[in-house]
Amino acid sequence: MRPLRHGIMSVGDCNLRESAFVGLKLPGTPTPIRSYNAAKPLLNGVDLDGGVPIMLNRILVLMVGLFIAVLGLPADTFAQNSSPGGWLTPDWDKRPITDANRKPAPRRSLAGTWGPADGPGAGTQAGGVQLKPNNGRPENQLPYTPAGLELYRSHKALEGIDAVLPAQDNDPRNRCEPLGVPRSNHYNIRLTQIFQDEDKVVMLYQYDNRWRVIWTDGRELPKVVDGGVEIAGEVREGRFSGYSVGRWVDDYTFEVQTVGTMPEDRVWLDSTGRPISDQARVTETFRRVDNDTLVWSETISDPKVYARPWDTMKLALRLHDPRTDIMEYYCSPVEQENYNKLFGNAAGGKGAP
Amino acid sequence: MRNRRVIVSVITVGLLIPFPLAAHHGSAAFDTGKKVVLKGTVNQWVYSNPHCLLTLDVKGEDGQVVPWIAEGQAPNVIFPVGYRKDSFKAGDQVTVTVEPVKNGRPMGRILQAVLADGKTLGPASSPPPNAAAAPQP
Repeated sequence: MRPLRHGIMSVGDCNLRESAFVGLKLPGTPTPIRSYNAAKPLLNGVDLDGGVPIMLNRILVLMVGLFIAVLGLPADTFAQNSSPGGWLTPDWDKRPITDANRKPAPRRSLAGTWGPADGPGAGTQAGGVQLKPNNGRPENQLPYTPAGLELYRSHKALEGIDAVLPAQDNDPRNRCEPLGVPRSNHYNIRLTQIFQDEDKVVMLYQYDNRWRVIWTDGRELPKVVDGGVEIAGEVREGRFSGYSVGRWVDDYTFEVQTVGTMPEDRVWLDSTGRPISDQARVTETFRRVDNDTLVWSETISDPKVYARPWDTMKLALRLHDPRTDIMEYYCSPVEQENYNKLFGNAAGGKGAP
Repeated sequence: MRNRRVIVSVITVGLLIPFPLAAHHGSAAFDTGKKVVLKGTVNQWVYSNPHCLLTLDVKGEDGQVVPWIAEGQAPNVIFPVGYRKDSFKAGDQVTVTVEPVKNGRPMGRILQAVLADGKTLGPASSPPPNAAAAPQP
């Protein structure tokens, strides 16, 4: 791991890209000083006197350098989207990873900009969590406790099999409330940035520019108590992102536990109104399959709402160029209100005016 | 109904959207599977969250002009499929295909847009997942 010029520690994908350009003259850099003897005869830059073709040697060295550099470049470096003025747009048409272009995973690193491997629409989870869409099929029924089922029925969602019309919903998202963990994992996952240092892993979610910290410095997971968590004998507040600690199970598998999330009247599990409570324990696993692939899995345990733990997602992510410009995706109360005024309320109203 | 008179053409029946749209507000308000093709003049293109909104005047066969509102997903979502802040300008003559709302109001979500310069854009929503590109974890 090493500091990059923007001061953030990163590993993995940046290394090849930067080293690959060593030896190339970039625009704006000074022209190298020519070292041949100007008094000697030259033909097309080749020193004909003394049998030492200095310029030719330089050309050959440059060509060899270029060849080595090209070998070292990631395959996708050649498939960049347009980047007018250097503002690189996301590349959603990457070549599939095969044995021919697969590179080994870096050890103990999640750092990078990640997007769903199946494209930008693969992580939206609009119809419910990825592995259990809320579509009424028997295999997607959740193991609700009686209290959990009652909670679900009290939620008026705009998505899923029990969706209501706009203006009739009570989704906290539509008031721009923070989604919290784990719903942030189930809502429009597009480009997610992960940074890490010796003590923590930090995830930057694109939606609403939210971030969370996963501690890796060996601290213990707090104990869940009524109204929050207990740390060193003190009761601490519940948080939208909860309290997360992570550990490396092996060099390529990172496991995260999260507790101390917000109570069920503040957050939902997904966009279809499935509930989650402050008694939840969220287990996430990040498995670095190779340099370009990260598989993000999640299991929910919440005895207040669900009778047994169940799996919500197993989402394959693909590494993107770290220079990719990520658009804002804010929930702005002003814009939300304007949208409701112009469209949402009328679209959900009954009958024509 | 007056709104019906301004509809240039309506195509119904069949599954016209081959993938679930990543809707902010869900699909309950929309008449899924129905298409309305609108030829009109752009009033405004609002490129904002949680949805982009296109207002346009559509003249019906009876000469009546009806203001329609067509929505797209958030800028972040529709940028990859080609929609930009300046894709529509006031006064542009455009053809927009929408999936209308159920309640009969002149509103819908954009399935296709033919811009003033002739360029055609697809649904103003997330592209479908690309199964072919999926790795085998």
